[in-house]
Amino acid sequence: MDKRDADSVKQAIGCPMSRRKFFRCLAAAGALAAMPGGLLRPFDAKAGKIIYEGDYEIYRNACPRNCYDTCSIKSYVKDGVLQFIEGAQASTFTDGGLCVKGYAYTRRPYSPDRIKYPMIQDGRGSGNWRRISWDEAMDMIAKKLVEINDKDDSMLGLGLTKYSGNFGITNYAVEGMMTSLGYTTRLVGTPCWPAGIDAQNYDLGDMWCNDPEDMVNSRYIILWGANPAWNSVHTMKYIYAAQDRGAKVVCIDPVFTQTAAKADVYWQVDTSMDGALALGMAKHILDKGLFDKAWVDANSVGFDEFADYLRNEISVQWAAEKSGIPRQQIVEVAEEFATAKPATIWIGYGLQRHVNGGATVRSIDALAAMTGNVGKTGGGARYGHMRTWGFNYHALLQKRPEGAKGFLGGKGPKGDFDFSGDEEAEYTDRALNINKTAEMLLTADDPPIRVLWISCKNVLSQDFDRPKMLEAFKKPELIVSVEQFFTQTVELSDIVLPVTTLFEEHTINASYWHYWLSVNEQAIKPMYEAKSNTEIAAALSARMNKLKPGSCTFPTKVDTRQWMIKEFNQDIYDLFGIDSWEDLKKGPAKAKMHPASWHDLEFGTPSKKYEFRSDLCAQHGHQALPKFKAARKPYDKLRLLTPHTKFGIHSQFINIDWMEDFNKKPYCYLHPLAARERGIGDGDQVRVFNKVGEVELEVKLTQNVPADVVMMYEAWFRNNAYNCQNVVDDTSSDMGKYKTGAPGVAIHDQFADVEKV
Amino acid sequence: MKKQLAFYIDAKRCIGCFTCAMACKNQYHQESGVIWRDVYELKEEIYPHRERAFYSLACNHCENPTCLNVCPVVAYYKREADGVVVHEQEKCIGCGNCIRSCPYGAPRYNPVLKRAEKCSFCWQRLDDDRKPACVLSCPTDALQIVDLAEFDEANAVQYPAGFPRYPSLNPSVRFRLPAMPKMIRRKL
Repeated sequence: MDKRDADSVKQAIGCPMSRRKFFRCLAAAGALAAMPGGLLRPFDAKAGKIIYEGDYEIYRNACPRNCYDTCSIKSYVKDGVLQFIEGAQASTFTDGGLCVKGYAYTRRPYSPDRIKYPMIQDGRGSGNWRRISWDEAMDMIAKKLVEINDKDDSMLGLGLTKYSGNFGITNYAVEGMMTSLGYTTRLVGTPCWPAGIDAQNYDLGDMWCNDPEDMVNSRYIILWGANPAWNSVHTMKYIYAAQDRGAKVVCIDPVFTQTAAKADVYWQVDTSMDGALALGMAKHILDKGLFDKAWVDANSVGFDEFADYLRNEISVQWAAEKSGIPRQQIVEVAEEFATAKPATIWIGYGLQRHVNGGATVRSIDALAAMTGNVGKTGGGARYGHMRTWGFNYHALLQKRPEGAKGFLGGKGPKGDFDFSGDEEAEYTDRALNINKTAEMLLTADDPPIRVLWISCKNVLSQDFDRPKMLEAFKKPELIVSVEQFFTQTVELSDIVLPVTTLFEEHTINASYWHYWLSVNEQAIKPMYEAKSNTEIAAALSARMNKLKPGSCTFPTKVDTRQWMIKEFNQDIYDLFGIDSWEDLKKGPAKAKMHPASWHDLEFGTPSKKYEFRSDLCAQHGHQALPKFKAARKPYDKLRLLTPHTKFGIHSQFINIDWMEDFNKKPYCYLHPLAARERGIGDGDQVRVFNKVGEVELEVKLTQNVPADVVMMYEAWFRNNAYNCQNVVDDTSSDMGKYKTGAPGVAIHDQFADVEKV
Repeated sequence: MKKQLAFYIDAKRCIGCFTCAMACKNQYHQESGVIWRDVYELKEEIYPHRERAFYSLACNHCENPTCLNVCPVVAYYKREADGVVVHEQEKCIGCGNCIRSCPYGAPRYNPVLKRAEKCSFCWQRLDDDRKPACVLSCPTDALQIVDLAEFDEANAVQYPAGFPRYPSLNPSVRFRLPAMPKMIRRKL
């Protein structure tokens, strides 16, 4: 975006104001009776005692972001304005605190950058935005949908891309809205964790992790490619507690992360060679007879074949050469891991974002299983779970309109968060790989994607091969974004619809990591003209049915609180030991589940055992055993890593002005040796470039990264064009298609070079 | 010794997550750029890994506060009961004496109100039996509230490397130093 565009966007959304000025304007407009925060500021010593529980209305909220922690929030409201928030103390996991991102929420509904009204852009990318009414916006979209349905005799020309921007359960109304319009095109799969999900399904029959709070019981913890100090801050206390009780913590990561700095031992593994390392450890454990023979005999299949493979094809020396970790270290940690009981491994998502990622997760699972650590408290190969997500999916499950036609053949879309069940029908939606969105938009035909609906996703910041995406975004006839801020995706949309923040809607939130459940109440009235995804679906349905009766089955009037209640069922109540959803207004509830996954040793695999040899995996075109799989061949001089920043979840939070106080701009990180070879000094402006594209930013020199790596963080800054997807291609990872409908993406199998500008 | 509340900064547990700093903004909504609590990265001379060890710092609520001593309009007072140093912004004339004099940089200038302001130790929360926002927020208990009259932690230090030494002020803050893992790096 050039500066002129940025300026016109700013003009369109109104000049940024200070908070005080902003609230003065609101107060002048009669929206506020009092300036928020005024009473909270401690300046007036005579103000006297503040009664926190009593002077405020208190609501329950939950962070709906794609994060392990899914924090339960207690919101303090006065005069209809959100004043401050805290972590819910009722949850032992959240324990009264949030994170740097969570505490910035108080600013979000009132951010001067927020999209306030439906707007239309005269010329995609022009920055010439003008305000329109909801009626006008719905009318334009509905007319277009009727038009494409008439033209194609189906709704397949309508494409949806949605992922993890808001995991509140009622937000599945977006998928429900698509279903209610007919058979549509869905970008399916997940860029996040699919290779590992498939791997765990092959090995164990599901992805199911121990309670993170149970990690205090571990005697040995390997944090393998996981960085909870940044990505799950609330789990750190359990790791510390285990350490205080004598557990050893080993952190394995190509980067010396913040978590590595808190471990007892840090291993700087060569990126994507984690599988070799795991197999080397397994080989040594086998040779020393330290595996749990009784457990393996009773609870697994294929161990003998795996042992043969280890004996014949793996040596610790080979693992040392592949991984860069000295032989003696591998031997030492392998022996410690095998003899400390219970021992656990936390498998991070980064290590499976490789062309050999699924194979890697399988070899790490095997390490946990052969030592008898699966099914035990304090043990487990921890990855994630969906055991607390048994909602009704009332918002999701909508009927197709009568006579709707769709895609013949194929099995229809799937996803990691697909709860639609196996539907047998003549027609299905058309499923396209979300991890190749640019390619899919460019090549989908008969019909092409004429209308693209984007919700809970920032495509231009998060999808791969951005240069190709810029081309792809020229193709649809209409692009609609549902957003809160003028992201780079909105900049290339035609219509933007303002959506509610967590404080302005009713929903429910569960975690894919811990076992807590939170209700999310509407704490404040929606600001400006924002609507929830459910209300947007209802508004669109109303207009569709006015134009063409029967063209959309989505209810035209929704009570969002009722819709939230409709997601609960008796099984949920029983699982969480509550009588009614209203119990959650007193605070989050924890599932009454055994802290150890697979504690009954009834595995979900075809054999009902742990499968060292998975025939299903072989049927799907992979190796039956958890064998080593080669890495992607480098296509440039340095490996490029683009992990999370601690100041954001993917592209979210970094744009908030409060966050800018602590994280003003992006940096890349380079080892001093790599910098010296290139004549680069600390603080230089550099160009990171590869076959995909390039980015320019300031460099920090540090030995936290290996000498063959350049690292920068995912981010969307509101006043900076930086975008790491300019240098990340869309190469697939090995696994993911089985359970999520599309293979994952090899985000960390990227390469680039750096030069001073 | 009289009761003196202090911040205990456990850099061994601190993950530099900035949660405390944002929890403060969440509570007090300071103007953009006005920061009461910040998280300071330790220089590589002090901790050899960049951006991996931190001190979370705000006002130190000194035993003998410079801000209070230099204020011409008595906009500061020190609470008898707990030693918290309170700034009364409605009395402040924005002269900047405290801002220039505090060697720890605790008082900050609010360019909108044209007055100073600083960390209050959340005294109103304290008076309601609640932890300060930053302390409550810390996910690893790396930032704690302690009473120096009773504080007895053998490993604690008052002036770690990088933290200015002003015994005449006697800052009410204690630290535990960061640790390092055994490092196994691969050879290239």
